[in-house]
Amino acid sequence: MFRTMRKFRRAAGTTAVLAVVALTANACAEQDSAGAGGDSSEIHIGAWLPTTGATASYGVPQKAGAEAYFKMINASGGINGRKVRWTVKDNAADPQQTVQIARELVGQDKVVAIVNANGTSQAEAAFPFVLNQSKVPILNEVGGNESWFKPPRPGLFGTQTLYEDQAAAIAAWTVQDGAKKVLVVHSDPAAFVNVAKQVEPVAKKLDPSVEVDRLTVKYQTTDYTPVISKVKAAKTQAVILILTSPEAAAFLKEAKLQGLSLPTYAYAPVAAESTVSLAKDAAEGLKAVQLVKAPSDSDPAVKEFRTAMAKYEPGQTAGFLALWGWSNAKVFAEIVKTIKGPVTADAIDKAYEKATKVDTGVSPVMNFSPSNHLGTRSVQRVVVKDGVWTSQGDFYTPPKRG
Amino acid sequence: MSQFLLVLVSGVASGAVYGLIGLGLVIIYRATDVVNFAMASLATLGLYVAVSLRDQGVATVLGIVAAVTITVVAGLLVRETVIRPLGQGQLFSALVVTMGVSLVVENIASSVWGDEPKSFPNLVNGTVSWSGAALPVQSLVTIAVAAVAMAVVGYLFARTTLGSAMRAVAENAETARVVGLGAQRLARIAWALGLGLAALAACLYAPRSGLVPTALVAPLFRAFAGIFLGGLTSMYGAVVGGLTVGVLDNLAANYASASLRDTFVFSFTVLVLLIRPQGIFGTRTFQRV
Repeated sequence: MFRTMRKFRRAAGTTAVLAVVALTANACAEQDSAGAGGDSSEIHIGAWLPTTGATASYGVPQKAGAEAYFKMINASGGINGRKVRWTVKDNAADPQQTVQIARELVGQDKVVAIVNANGTSQAEAAFPFVLNQSKVPILNEVGGNESWFKPPRPGLFGTQTLYEDQAAAIAAWTVQDGAKKVLVVHSDPAAFVNVAKQVEPVAKKLDPSVEVDRLTVKYQTTDYTPVISKVKAAKTQAVILILTSPEAAAFLKEAKLQGLSLPTYAYAPVAAESTVSLAKDAAEGLKAVQLVKAPSDSDPAVKEFRTAMAKYEPGQTAGFLALWGWSNAKVFAEIVKTIKGPVTADAIDKAYEKATKVDTGVSPVMNFSPSNHLGTRSVQRVVVKDGVWTSQGDFYTPPKRG
Repeated sequence: MSQFLLVLVSGVASGAVYGLIGLGLVIIYRATDVVNFAMASLATLGLYVAVSLRDQGVATVLGIVAAVTITVVAGLLVRETVIRPLGQGQLFSALVVTMGVSLVVENIASSVWGDEPKSFPNLVNGTVSWSGAALPVQSLVTIAVAAVAMAVVGYLFARTTLGSAMRAVAENAETARVVGLGAQRLARIAWALGLGLAALAACLYAPRSGLVPTALVAPLFRAFAGIFLGGLTSMYGAVVGGLTVGVLDNLAANYASASLRDTFVFSFTVLVLLIRPQGIFGTRTFQRV
């Protein structure tokens, strides 16, 4: 009797263990079959963004713009019937934290791509794990430099006109406006110096008689009195600012106080709402290049952005940075729309390489190919008129550098 | 000449701000042995309150009064809750605690008001022509306000009973207690005074720089250079050191290189400290072995 009971218990125990093993294996199999990027009803993507810390003023609106776009398309059925799930994690602009986040997004959340993240050094810290080891693409990152795209790297695609090309576009603009003597005022870190150096070759290419000088300023200077004195002494006809937005505002205010009135040009980081709010009327007439159209434009695509921001992200300003996020999200959606079948990392990679004439309506038309992973070199010229950034003309492609 | 005048006035205005912050640091340090790294972020908190009030239509002057009040109240709260329990003479512990408080306050400001730069209004707009130079009235007002504040502090310490008591506490807290001076009460007054000066300096500095949670880190850095140059224990030293840093900074930017202004100023500071380690006005202390 006891022997029979023992046999029964042993059999039951074995059955239970086998059942647990079988269930676990089944669960694992199910998890794997869901694959990277969620189930067939959704596309799971991720991003690292600085939503706290020193550069949160970039990360927060960039996130809001992309969120607004994804919420809008999800409300209308998603991409080819698949909803977009965009998981954003705060990296506080820290490269080490970014690597940790990349491991979470790729390893645990199983995202199929990193889309609309932020930061050059932050992304570079994550390249070995995300691009090389995991083969997960990094798409439409805000930041980057020429070495990212020359030669093209598998899985890395950009939508942002390089700062160097922005400098070339400004150089062309000053020459077109007739300036013969140009002064580039720039901060001293290498990232600013490299951009500032691009002005002279392009200006001279267009007009060999143009003189270009550079004036280096200590990063985060707030007292621009001596700088304006030097600009005055240089007897220049135009000034190009390769500075941060608060620095450019300080420059403009001091220039106005000292009665310096020169055509002033700047690159995209200066073409921000904060420059106008800090410099107030001293910013009037400032010319700059941008990656997108001015958010105040009456263009239907820009109107759609403003409407979506008001509906889905009512607490956020519908400004340039939000429009960057919106544009990046839209480029991704337009390209993924072309994928027939499962949306995997590999399928996205191939779709990007084939994507041409991707038109968001708010940013330049993007063209990618296997040998070109940077979608555009064009910029939008914008000018401060009555305290508001206003688009001037259509998108402009600068002359080639070098 | 006009250019030199312009650069000089601007440098003195910046130096006056560094001097005020430095004076606040020295007053707190002398009274409580605390190097208050949280001073700048607490003053930034006050500035944000002033900006919020301005956005509600409150006059700038009232906003400044509110900024000073908030900074003082927040500072006293910090002292009573996290500094005082450390006890007297815990210089390094207090230093680390104030650094921590600074980070916490910056994060609070960032969460509540965001990181987007905000403008802070000038007290006065316009320029005054003098010897061919258009001097910003705001710079002249900055110099005048700072001078008055410094004069009041000077009077307080030199000519009043309260000032004498605070100097006594600075010399020896135990002796001051024995002769009936309330060391804690005087420490609170020193913190309030130091933070009030820092808040005032912040209100004078912010129209030029704009307001972000870390807006006052750079002037705090320069104020420290000023007090080490002038002498950590000397109030005159803090003022003279701050002014020296401000003026040298601008002269270096104008006549040497705009990118080497800090290098110039800090090289000068290092040179002075090599020759006179206690700073220009500091007192050399000796300890019996």
